[in-house]
Amino acid sequence: MILDLIRAVDTLAAGERHTVAVANDSERELVRRWSEATGNTLVPESVSAKSERTATIIRGRLRDPATVLGAEKMPGTRLWIYTNFTCNLACDYCCVGSGPKVDPRELGAERILPIVRDAAAWGVQELYLTGGEPFLLPYLGSMVVDCAEHLPVVILTNGMLFRGAGLKQLQAMPRDRVAMQISIDSPTSLIHDRHRGLGSWQRAIAGVATAKSEGFRVRVAATVGGEDGVDAVELQTFFDELSIDRADQIIRPVAREGASLEGVLLTTDTLIPEVTVTAQGVYWHPVAATDPDALVTSQIEPISEALDKVRDLFAEQWHTSATKVSAFTCA
Amino acid sequence: MTELLTLGAVAYSPAVVGVWEGMKEYFADSDAPFDFVLYSNYGRLVDALRKGEVDIAWNTNLAYVRAMLQTDNGCRALAMRDIDTVYSTVFVSAAGSGRTGPGAVAGRRLALGSADSAHAAILPLHYLQQAGVDLDTITVIRFNSDLGKHGDTGRSEIDALEAVIAGEADVAAIGISTWEKIGEGDFLPGAVEKVWQTPDYSHCAFTVLSSSPPELTAAWTRHLMAMNPSDPEQRRIMTLEGVKDHWATPALDGYQSLFTAVERQGIDPTW
Repeated sequence: MILDLIRAVDTLAAGERHTVAVANDSERELVRRWSEATGNTLVPESVSAKSERTATIIRGRLRDPATVLGAEKMPGTRLWIYTNFTCNLACDYCCVGSGPKVDPRELGAERILPIVRDAAAWGVQELYLTGGEPFLLPYLGSMVVDCAEHLPVVILTNGMLFRGAGLKQLQAMPRDRVAMQISIDSPTSLIHDRHRGLGSWQRAIAGVATAKSEGFRVRVAATVGGEDGVDAVELQTFFDELSIDRADQIIRPVAREGASLEGVLLTTDTLIPEVTVTAQGVYWHPVAATDPDALVTSQIEPISEALDKVRDLFAEQWHTSATKVSAFTCA
Repeated sequence: MTELLTLGAVAYSPAVVGVWEGMKEYFADSDAPFDFVLYSNYGRLVDALRKGEVDIAWNTNLAYVRAMLQTDNGCRALAMRDIDTVYSTVFVSAAGSGRTGPGAVAGRRLALGSADSAHAAILPLHYLQQAGVDLDTITVIRFNSDLGKHGDTGRSEIDALEAVIAGEADVAAIGISTWEKIGEGDFLPGAVEKVWQTPDYSHCAFTVLSSSPPELTAAWTRHLMAMNPSDPEQRRIMTLEGVKDHWATPALDGYQSLFTAVERQGIDPTW
């Protein structure tokens, strides 16, 4: 068998696979030792068809995911926290179905702060606070001040609440450690307001101006659906006119999650994880933070265990479909 | 703009493309970036080096020797893999044969790899003769499975091994790489055992014409030597090319046996 294996694997390009029949566990072990010794990769038993008594070998070592994806895309580099699910808007494509009347599902500052501290100790490098609308929380400002002592923070917001109490919260946050990511879906109000509500576009634009005038780094994120006909170049030009750096302009498609019945179908098999905490547990990705299939564990604390678990699951996923996984950009 | 070097190699396996794409990527930001051209055989690669169509040739030991002979020693080696400085040929027999030492090959049926494989055909005979074995007593069975590739595919050595296991040959001569690929026999339990191993000699080397700009080839070699096996991506490429730990400075003395063998066996230096 090994000589046949050598012949077969030597004819493969790097990354190609070959499957051989194995009569029993000792033959599988022989193939494992051979793969290890010769610089090839045996697909883990848990994801190959053990019941069919086969072993699958990939020619060469797998490409390092950090090299392929970029270190910043590796699971655990960023931590997402859904602070709450209530929102002053009820966008028709919201991936978690947020709105004014939904169950708030707040995590609360007393849970969030230890999670952030432990995540930073684990190796997380950036914190994303999202919702719902985080600026509905009366304690957001002081909580962000505390979070920012451990990690740089990006707050995902619709930018509509930067006045009164909301403005005071904004002003309390450290400019050098906190950035705002404001949702703007179109260069004019028409499409944005169609999905998010009348007048929301104008207030979001005003929010960008306020956050910038307060000295914050502002990122903008557009969620675009195919039928809306939003021109990406036109949108980019508009963002340029708002003096948003190109690196801070995120344009992504609608995901078929939450309130959205249309859009890009995403599954944990094909999605690079972005560890996401909600009051319900730890999820694979923020875009699927209410999807039961994307629930990694309902045990949130200690967050280091959940981060370990996602890292290990991703390692297995990388083995399984290294060429198939994709990134869905939320930030 | 930095001058782009051209590296030539032989496409003996689809994996080669991944190796040189990876190397090209690693060199892209260096002082000596390169692009590569793949040839179907080492004869064409040596021709291309001689004509200046490639700046650097990734040569087997026989290709290096032929390049030297064709250019009146007008080539120089830049670097080789760590394994190339201590290459050897291993003679194997069926497990339990009890054969040991070069003398045990005398009078036997010896399975050799492709005729242009230095490690599986040319040097085995050379070292046997040097050890005092009368080659006329040996029945040579040749497996010319990958002619032109200088034994790079390893296919002819697997054929030779199978002949031993099937009882069609008494002894097979295989390169140390193939010997290690079968775990020094461990991955073929109860099938084969080592009879004898030749002294070390040199195998592949990056080769340039002596007239190549020394500063450019020095920059290229420096960057090659700086490859870091601790870097996962660099490690992946190095492993795919067969480097164990590091690239090495050429061990030129290790080519002497092949120069002698080529001369004594009358192997065509020009192809």
